[in-house]
Parts: sequence; structure tokens; C-alpha cells
Amino acid sequence: MEKTGSVDSLGSKQSSSRHPSVDSLSSSERSTQVKAASMMSDSATSSEFSPEIRVKPKAVAKTFRDADKEELQLLPNEVVQDMAQEVTYFCPFTGALRGIVTVSNYRLFFKCTDREPSFVLDLPLGVVSRVEKIGSASSRGDVSYGLVCKDMRNLRFAHKQTDDTLKKSIFEVLMKFAFPVSNGLQIFAFEYGQVFPENGWKVYDAVSEYKRQGIPNESWRITKVNDHYELCDTYPATMAVPVNIPDEELKRVAAFRAKGRIPVLSWIHPESQATVTRCSQPMVGINGKRSKEDEKYLQTIMDANAQSHKLFIFDARPSVNAAANKMKGGGYESEDAYQNAELVFLDIHNIHVMRESLRKLKDIVYPNIEDSHWLSNLESTHWLEHIKLILAGALRIADKVESGKTSVVVHCSDGWDRTAQLTSLAMLMLDGYYRSIRGFQVLLEKEWLSFGHRFQLRVGHGDKNHTDADRSPIFIQFVDCVWQMTRQFPAAFEFNEYFLVTILDHLYSCLFGTFLCNSEQQRFKEEIPKRTVSLWSYINSQVEEFTNPLYVNFSNHVLFPVVSLRHLELWVGYYIRWNPRMRPQEPVHQRHKELLAKRAELQKRVDELQREVTNRSASSSSERAGSPTRSITPVQTFV
Amino acid sequence: MLTGSKSTFKVRQMGADIKERMLTQSGSNARRPDVSGLPCLPGEVVLRRAVMVRKKLTAREGRGWLSGTLFCTAFRVAFVPQDAPKPQDDADPVLLGDHDVALASIEKVVVVGPNRTKLVTPNSSLKFTPEELVLYCRDLRVVCFLFDRLTPDAQVLEITHTIAKTYQPVRAGCVSAFQNAALGSVEMKQFLSNRQRDAHMNWHESAADWERELERCGATGWRVSSVNDRFEMSTSLPRYLAVPQKVLDTELKKIFAHFHDGRIPRWCWRHPRGGSDLLRMAGFQNNIYHEKDDIRNLETILFGGHGNLCVVVELGDELPSPPDVQLAHARLRALCLGDISTSATVPDDKWLSTLEATCWLDYTRACLKKASEVARLLRGGGMTVALQEAEDRDMSCVVSSLAQVMCDPHCRGRRGFQSLVQKEWVTAGHRFRGRANYGRDNPKEEAPVFLLFLDCVWQLWSQYPWRFQFSDDFLLALHDSAHLPLFSSFLANSQRERCRRTQNAGQCYTPVNGGPEPADPPLPSVWDWSLQYGQRRQAGFTQPVPPAPRPLLNGNLNAQTDARGHQQANECTPGTVFLFSRGIFSSPAGLPPWRGGTAGVTAAAASISGVYRKSHRRAPSSESVPGLERLLKADAQRDPCRPLLPLLLGPCLGLWRECYHRGALHAQAFSHPPSGEHAHPLELLVREVRGLRRRLVAERRLSQGGDDRDAVTASAPSLPADEHLADARPGRSASITSSDGDGG
Repeated sequence: MEKTGSVDSLGSKQSSSRHPSVDSLSSSERSTQVKAASMMSDSATSSEFSPEIRVKPKAVAKTFRDADKEELQLLPNEVVQDMAQEVTYFCPFTGALRGIVTVSNYRLFFKCTDREPSFVLDLPLGVVSRVEKIGSASSRGDVSYGLVCKDMRNLRFAHKQTDDTLKKSIFEVLMKFAFPVSNGLQIFAFEYGQVFPENGWKVYDAVSEYKRQGIPNESWRITKVNDHYELCDTYPATMAVPVNIPDEELKRVAAFRAKGRIPVLSWIHPESQATVTRCSQPMVGINGKRSKEDEKYLQTIMDANAQSHKLFIFDARPSVNAAANKMKGGGYESEDAYQNAELVFLDIHNIHVMRESLRKLKDIVYPNIEDSHWLSNLESTHWLEHIKLILAGALRIADKVESGKTSVVVHCSDGWDRTAQLTSLAMLMLDGYYRSIRGFQVLLEKEWLSFGHRFQLRVGHGDKNHTDADRSPIFIQFVDCVWQMTRQFPAAFEFNEYFLVTILDHLYSCLFGTFLCNSEQQRFKEEIPKRTVSLWSYINSQVEEFTNPLYVNFSNHVLFPVVSLRHLELWVGYYIRWNPRMRPQEPVHQRHKELLAKRAELQKRVDELQREVTNRSASSSSERAGSPTRSITPVQTFV
Repeated sequence: MLTGSKSTFKVRQMGADIKERMLTQSGSNARRPDVSGLPCLPGEVVLRRAVMVRKKLTAREGRGWLSGTLFCTAFRVAFVPQDAPKPQDDADPVLLGDHDVALASIEKVVVVGPNRTKLVTPNSSLKFTPEELVLYCRDLRVVCFLFDRLTPDAQVLEITHTIAKTYQPVRAGCVSAFQNAALGSVEMKQFLSNRQRDAHMNWHESAADWERELERCGATGWRVSSVNDRFEMSTSLPRYLAVPQKVLDTELKKIFAHFHDGRIPRWCWRHPRGGSDLLRMAGFQNNIYHEKDDIRNLETILFGGHGNLCVVVELGDELPSPPDVQLAHARLRALCLGDISTSATVPDDKWLSTLEATCWLDYTRACLKKASEVARLLRGGGMTVALQEAEDRDMSCVVSSLAQVMCDPHCRGRRGFQSLVQKEWVTAGHRFRGRANYGRDNPKEEAPVFLLFLDCVWQLWSQYPWRFQFSDDFLLALHDSAHLPLFSSFLANSQRERCRRTQNAGQCYTPVNGGPEPADPPLPSVWDWSLQYGQRRQAGFTQPVPPAPRPLLNGNLNAQTDARGHQQANECTPGTVFLFSRGIFSSPAGLPPWRGGTAGVTAAAASISGVYRKSHRRAPSSESVPGLERLLKADAQRDPCRPLLPLLLGPCLGLWRECYHRGALHAQAFSHPPSGEHAHPLELLVREVRGLRRRLVAERRLSQGGDDRDAVTASAPSLPADEHLADARPGRSASITSSDGDGG
């Protein structure tokens, strides 16, 4: 008897200024010529990121978008491929809806025609994981198609069987464009021609990021040995390594590390010089092979930090899995070979376990939620437990570096999944810079993209092979961990929840080039920065949409989140956003904007007064000089 | 194992302490800080103290440690940080400092030694010197003190033992002993009797209070009756009842007998739009003969004197019973507190299912669900919604007040909320004394129904924090105060009991049959916050940014009644009563029981509990049922009076961590850089603006000498404009809302 009534909120959809947003079903967006900047100004709000049903804010009354709010607004270079009338969409929340389906090379657009106010569904084809024809033609001549999506929902459509057997169903057309890679087509990101005022490809520059960290210094240098990706094809061209190890030796170390992924610097503590380095597993094998160069290398990493005579090696895997890897030539550092090193296993499971866990989670949240057993069902997915283990691992790393002033080496098997999660989370805890909007983009560019998290494989962009065992929600899991931290430290992050959801939406949408390919080398070859638009262009062109009003810049603080399951929550704003009963009657987003405005107003007032005070004390030449220092104390987190 | 060889408790080193005690006693003329640095209450005696103690701070307090001195008095365990500011001599006494724990709220005392933990009871003797002292509190706090190596062992042992001995063990009379320790001194009594009550809230105690509430809600057609002035009609109802104007007191008197404990239907609240009235009543007393006139009058009340339609909302079987609530809360407490003495903490990976098994969240959901149904019904206009519970003293308090929090923005302000609790709980006769069971002598009645209500409010708060003027810290403070047997609000089962007590206190009455019981100290109300907490804590009771003012309604609301409501009211044949239960409307013949031909017979057979049976239900007979059902489902998006409806799906209800997880046990071991303040950034900015302004004024004064008066005064008037950001003005919001309902 709760809000079954939200049905009526159905069609009054909203419009949002962020037109490329995956979710904006009814992108009442502006015509494509309008500059991105202008869209920001009239941004309407909708906080909750689930656009399936949205309420149109009254305030939006821009001239260029009067009549057809729920009409399809094509993006630059988006081309309609097919259209079908009389299609039924079986909405799991509101029942069957009849309408028109349009398929373009970017999206599926469903507009309901038999309901008032109307309802639209706007789905980037990139989120489709699988299209299945359900059953054979029924007696009534209907054919039914199910769309399994990567973003925690399934959609079901049906339409009449056409008499003309040669004519393809619209869903077969859709399949072609949903899986362009499998059909020899181009991913839409290569065609999308939007111009944004900001250029997101300029956000990250490896050299300046290392410079920010104070590298090069007396212990660390920047090497160009991988300039042509010859040392390691999954590593970036620019890396930081110990000064005392010449490039020749790096090559020998690379021979002993899986896929040549040698230990390289991720982060250095500005004071203690303790470092976070990342690599892949050593190729120890069953016979316990050793490499003098590798041992020396780790010793050098330890020596680079004068504060500690120890080195911690964090192996993200459960020890059993690490041992099992010896059969495949891998393994872990023995403490005999690596003196002064202590090996710690962090018990984080592999990509297959994570995939299975998220699948179970989807089962319990979509479409229906069983209230009476919600918590035990949630427990049985183990999703939060995995989140906890990852956060706990990152916390141990951060604690060793910050409190123990000890350098750490992090690896898993290949060093591109769990390792990326751990190093980037630890860096988020240790360095406030990464908690800003720009800094977070740098963090992703550096730890995930440049160090070769295999986005293409893990997400399967445009690939119809949905059963591919390489697919896994590793990046989602990382973003979930970030969200958990934002919950515990609501004032420590410059970005808001919508920012995180947007990143995940565009992880799948294939609208931007950011998450395409598996490595820097591939991106370079494909000329991604030249041929596609960066997600950061879009985000940085309307930063205020993504800004957390509660943010207080306390970059010098190290965050130590509580990692007990008692303090973790399911990220309902992402996983359960499609359920209209999860949508509060007033969006948080709106409130946040009001707060931001209020804050700006007050800040202005403070500045004015400050100026006045300074002027006054100057003019009155009283010796109690010294303008009031800005004294905003950091906001403490509650857990 | 060593037996008794090491230092056991048996007192040594008494000398210094006795001296100290003498000092405090001799100089006990009110509010003098104890020589040792503890600002004592008048008459409060420091029993023990220990120096060089560190207190573990919770996440909310900034984590980390705070060093200072630990005290034990007959009333509390107090901790004074080293650098605590010296209290002013003339400051009013505050019962509990920021770091204090009242003895009565301690549930158990545990000490941690080098490699063991031990539960300390009044009789236990310790064979090791504790390094850590952990106090488990009834209000679910866990307070942890760490003894330094420099703390003298004797002090450690003695203070531990003293705390274990003086905190409230289960024994008769402990409640009044505790009250006396806190409030019993002559100075304290005098101080309390001079306290002013908060005039900005409605106490719902006098006839005028009720008049004010009727006026605020625009409830025309209702009057305040003093028929229960001497509690002769009903012992548990308040003195004053709001009833329809049409019913005379003489007629009213005959109705009491038809309801359990005389709790007749009476007015609680009117929806500002459409003017639907919320009523509550106990179950029908069916075993008496229903006279025709009585029935007519009764129906007049039920229909609120204006409407044709009455929906009786049954609060029986969909909501938890008090024993259910008690069991769930006990489980929740066991789960959240953990227990280092038995190390029986629930493993992390079983946490969620164990939490589910407490049923606590299910119960909050059930209450919120029922209340939101009521809130939706109230939008209907021109009808009455009567909550009926067998006794009308538990769940009807929860549901009626929750529905008002949802519908009435006034109740989401601090004073409005306090008025609401006064109206629906304190004076309405919730059995606070029995349910709280402070003396631990009545386990059968114990059930934290009020805490369940606070949890429900918190759920609503956490979903829409910006729609509340009070903060969650206010709810937390109220939660904690409910565990202290000090407040008149929570120490009586009814208004009648409370009145008796004050009379007794006034006349220094000593019971004839009772022993030499000391005269009760006058008990303060729980709303006297400055008695309980310092200014800083109180400042946190309101949110830094108050809710944006909602579109105001003009006084003439009934003119624009919801079309649907109107239609439906017109559809109805006069005098339709529906029963709403389990989400279904029905109009059974036997509702009310005297309706229908065989009333007498059915009634006699009906029920002892006083609530009619479901078997009377018949298929809905009126076409207005669809109208009502629509009301339940529809969401008027643009309705300015739209109630604040909670999301009820499993994932939407959360655990009130700030309350139940305050124990430091689950926090990780790493210390966090302690930071002084944890204010909202906006509030910090507001403070900065204010500080700068003050500075500016001072500068002007200095720089221009005497001739600057104008400038100073010129800038002064703009001050309040900023300050309303931080200091919320519940008084004002009250007046705003009161004008809303005019003419309703």
C-alpha cells in the first residue's frame, strides 16, 4: 500500500541538462547545436539517478525545448536505424505499456503512446549485455524479446509477428548496433561529435602528476624505458622507478614478473617518503625460482624510505589461490628470498567470484525486493563482504604507509584488477587531492586506465559474447567502495553521488572514449583521444552538477574508514535505482543545489566582510593587524 | 590462578578521599566546583576519583583519546578533560557534562586487564589492576576509559569498585535513591521549583493549551471539555479533551462507559486542507447496553460533528504488540552492544541476518506503513479518521504522532515535536513508567514503545533530513533522556499520576503506610534541556540550515478542498463507517457494535478485548470505497500539503547507527586525527560571518571612538537575518503554521 501510486508520476518525465546522460530517458535535451555550456545553466534536477520515471521540474521553461520534451533528441552523428509501432514494453513496476520503439546507432528509445502523461525509456545500447528472443511466436502472433542490461535491470518487449518474413524485427536491428564490435561496426564513441568547452583528455598528464608528488627526487626517477610499450605492453609509457635501478635491470626484473609488470611507484608520502608500489605476481613457479634482480629491486624500494627497515608486500589474493598460482608459474614472494619483507594476504577473491556475487545481487533487487528477508538475502550475495575485504585491504595499506611509515608493494596475479582497486583506494585515503573532482579523474586515469585495467574485456564493450569469463564488475566494485567512503566521510569528497553514478553509466554507454580499450598502448594505437570525446570533457563542463555541497577541503587528512560490515551499506542509489518505490518524493540533488547556492552566498559575504575588516584595520592603523585567518575546521565524519 | 594474593578491593588509602569528601560536603553551598575540578551539582558528593585517565572518543566526538580525571559521585560517573574550561561560578547546574554517564543508565561494568576481561558486580573482587574500564549503558552507549600507568593502582581499583557498587543494581527504591542523589538537595529543589517552563511549546496540560491547539489547526466545530477534570470519567485520559461542540458534557459523560478504560474517541489533529480530523479511541466496551441517546452522541463524536464519513483504522494485528517490541529491542541491544566480557559478538558475516532476526526493522516498517496510510487518508477531506487500539495507550500513540510528523511541518520543528509528544504520549496516557520499567521491578509491562517511535521518526528524518528543523542529535538526546528516571514526563503512566505527584511534593506529603521515605524531589520535565545538557550540545539540536519554508496556505483552506475528497464526501450516505484493516476497507454491520439489529447479542459475544471481530466484515457496500482506495494510492505531486511519506522497501530502512552503534567496540583500532568541531560547513560559515561582523563592529568602535554609535547600530539590525540560519526559530514556525489552519 505504499507508493504503488507512483504510477501516476510516470510520465511527467523530467528533463535534464546533461543530455548525454545515459539515463535521461526523456532527454529533453537541447538541440545538438546548443553549446554544452548553455545546458548547464538551466539544469533541472533530478537527483535520483533513475530516470526511468521522472518528474519534470516546473521551472524548466527554456525556449528551445518547449513542445517535444519526450521526443527523441538525437546526438551529433546519431542516426535513426529503425522504428516500430505497437510495441509493448513490460514494465515490471507499472505493467505493460504500448508505444513506439526507435533504434539508432546509439540508443533504444521507447515512447509510450497509450498513457497520459506519457512515459519514455531511453537506453544507450552500450548497456545491453544480451538480447534474447523469448519463446517462439505465441498463438497471438506476438514475439517477445528480453534485454539483459549491464546496469542491474532487464527489459522485456513484445511486438506482433510481421507477416513479411523477410523483414527483420526491430530487435534484430538493435542487436546489430548493440554489439557493433561483433558485427564489424564502429562503437558510437568514434562517431559522437559533441564539442565541450573543456577538454577532458588534458586532465591527466603523467609527468605533471608525478611532479605533483615530488617525483623525480633523490630516490625515484621517471623512466622512458617503456616509451614504445616494449618492456610491458599493459603499462604506460611514463613510469616512476627507483633511481638506482638502470633501465637494463628493469628488463630483467620484468622477465620475472607476470606480463612484465614490474613494481612501479603509485604514490609517495610527501613527508615520510614511504611509497605505494604496484606490480604483478613474481614468476616463482613450483620450483621456487628466484630472481636476484627482483630481490635487489624490492630492497631498493625499501631503502628509498629511510624511515623504515621493512617492506610490506600485500598480496590481494587468498593465500590458497596464491599458492595455486605456482602451478601456472606464478606465486608469491618467499620471505627467505626477500629479506626484511613481510608478506600479507588480503583474501580478496577473483573476478569470477565477484561476477557471481553481483549476479546474485541483481537477482534480489530487480525487479522485486522481498521485504521480509531483505537483509538475509543481501547477506547471501556476499557482495558487501567483498566490499569489506577490499576496503579492509586498502585500509591496511594506507595504515602501513601513514602510521607505520613503511613502504608497501601491492600485487595480485596480474596486477590490474585487485591491485588497481587496492592502490587507488589506499591513495584516496592517503591523499586529499584524489578526493577532489579533478583529482579523482587523475586517479582513474592513472591507476586504472594507464596501468592497464582491462576495461574492454571486463565490460565487453559492443561485444555480444555475454558469457565471456573475462567480464567482471571490478570497476563497479571499486566505485562502490568509494561510495562507502563518501558515506562515512560526507565532507571529505568534492564530488557527489551523482558523479559516481554518471561514471558508471558511461562505463557502459560507449558514448565517450574514456573507458574503451584495455591499455594505454591500445588507446594510443586506436587514437582514442583524437577520435573520441572524453567523459571528463562532459563532466568538467558542468562541474556544479557533480559537486558535493558539504565538501570541506581537508586534504591533509588521512581517512581511515570503518570497514566492519555494520558500517557498510548497500548502494541503493545505484543498484536499486530502477525501482520507483525507492525514489523519495523529493530529490536529494535539489537540496544539494540549494545548499551549494547558500554556501556560495555566505562565502561571498565572508569575503566581503573580511575585506572590510582588513581595510578598516589598515586605515585605522591599529597595530592589532593580521587579517582573520580563514578558519574552517574540517568537518568530522560520523559513521 | 592466584587467590586473593594481590590487591583486592578492600579499601586502602582512604585518607585522602575522605578529606576530599569532607571538603565537598562542608562547602556544599550550591554549584561550587569541587576542589578536584568537577563542577558538582548542589549536594553532589564525589565518592572517588582517578587521575590520568583517558576517555576513548567515538566517531561522532572525533575519535581518538582525551585525557583527564575520572570521578564517581552518587549520581554519575563524570569525566573532566584536562583542558576543560573552568565553569563559571554562577552558571546554572547542568546534570550531565559532555563526557558524563548517569549511574542509572549504566547497565553493566566491565574491566579489561592485561589479558582478561571481567564483569564487575557490587560483590566481585578484582584480582588484577584493570587497564580499561568499559561502561555498557542502557541507552546503548559504550563508554570506555583507559587508565594510564601513572594512575595509582588504588585509585583504579577503588573507582571501579565504587562505580560497580553505586550504579543502579536491581533493587527496590533505587530509582528514588538515584533521583535524590541528583535532585534531592535543598538547593536543587529550590532551583527546580524556580525553573520556568518553555512557553514556546504547547504542553497540552491546561484547557487553554488545548484551545490553542484547536486554533492552530483551525479545528472549528470542536471544543475543549473539562468533563474529566478530576479524572473521574477516565483515570488514564488527560483532564481536558477535545470533543465536538455539538455534544454537551452531560451527554459526553454517558459515553465513557462504552469504551475500554473510558478512553472515548477524541480529537487529536486536523489536516490543514480539507479539514479531515484525526481521532483516537480505545476498543468498544461491548458488554453493556447501548442506549439510543448514547449511540447518537457517540456517533456525533465519531463523525466529528461535521462529516458523513468515518474511517476506523484498526491498530491491532498489523502492528507489534508491546511484548513484541520488548523482545525485538532486547535482541537489538544484545546485537549492537556486543559484549567483550563474554566475547559473544555476532560475526561480521552474520550481521545482516542477525539484524533481520531481531524484527526491529520490521516493526518500524509496520508502524511507518500504518502511519503513512493514515496520513494519506487524512488528505481526503471532510471526514474523520479514528485510530482504534484495544487500550489506546501504545500503538495509537505511535501511529497518531507519526502521522502528524508526516503531515504537519510544525511537528518537524523541535518545539512542535515536543508539543506533539506532550499531546500524544505524555498527557494521552502512554504508560511511560510501566513501559520503561526504571526500577526493574515490572518486567511484564516493560516495552520500549517510545523508543520504537523515536526510531520511526529517525527513519523519516534520515530520508528527508532537510524537511526537519531539529537534528538527529535532538532525537538522540531524547532517546538517552528516556533512560533516565529523572523526568516527570517519563515517570508516570498518566496525567493523573503526574498530578498526584506534584501535589504530594508541594505539600511535603509523606505516605502513611510507607516507611521513612524521603520527600520526593520535584521532578523536572524532560524538555528542560538546559538542565540536562550544556549550551554546545543544545545548539546541535537544530539543523544549521532550517527547512525551506513551504508554500503557505491561507486560512481559507476548506474552500479549495481536494476535489476527490469532496466528491467522496458527497457520495456517502450520511453516517458511513468503514473499517480499515490490513489495507482493506470494509463496512461491517457491527461497526460500531451497536449498529445493526442484533447489536446487543453480537456485542455480548463479540470480544472481551473490546475490538470487534473481523468476521463481521461484509463486502463493501458503498461506492465510496473506491474513492478511499484511490486516496491511499494517489500521490498528488503538486499538493503543497503532501505528507512526507517514507519509503518502506527493505533497503530503505536503515539502522540508526548513531544511536545503536555508539559503542567504540566496532570502530577500528587506528586513531584518527582528532578535530575539534564537526559542524556543518554552512554553520561554520555562518559563524565566521557572525564573528567577522562582531569584529567589524569592534573595529569601528575602536577606530572612531565615541562618535561611531550610529555605525554600530546601523549594522546591528542586519544581524538577525543571518543568524536565523543557525538559530532556528521554532516559535516563529509555530505561528506560521497556526495561521495555516484558520477557518478549517
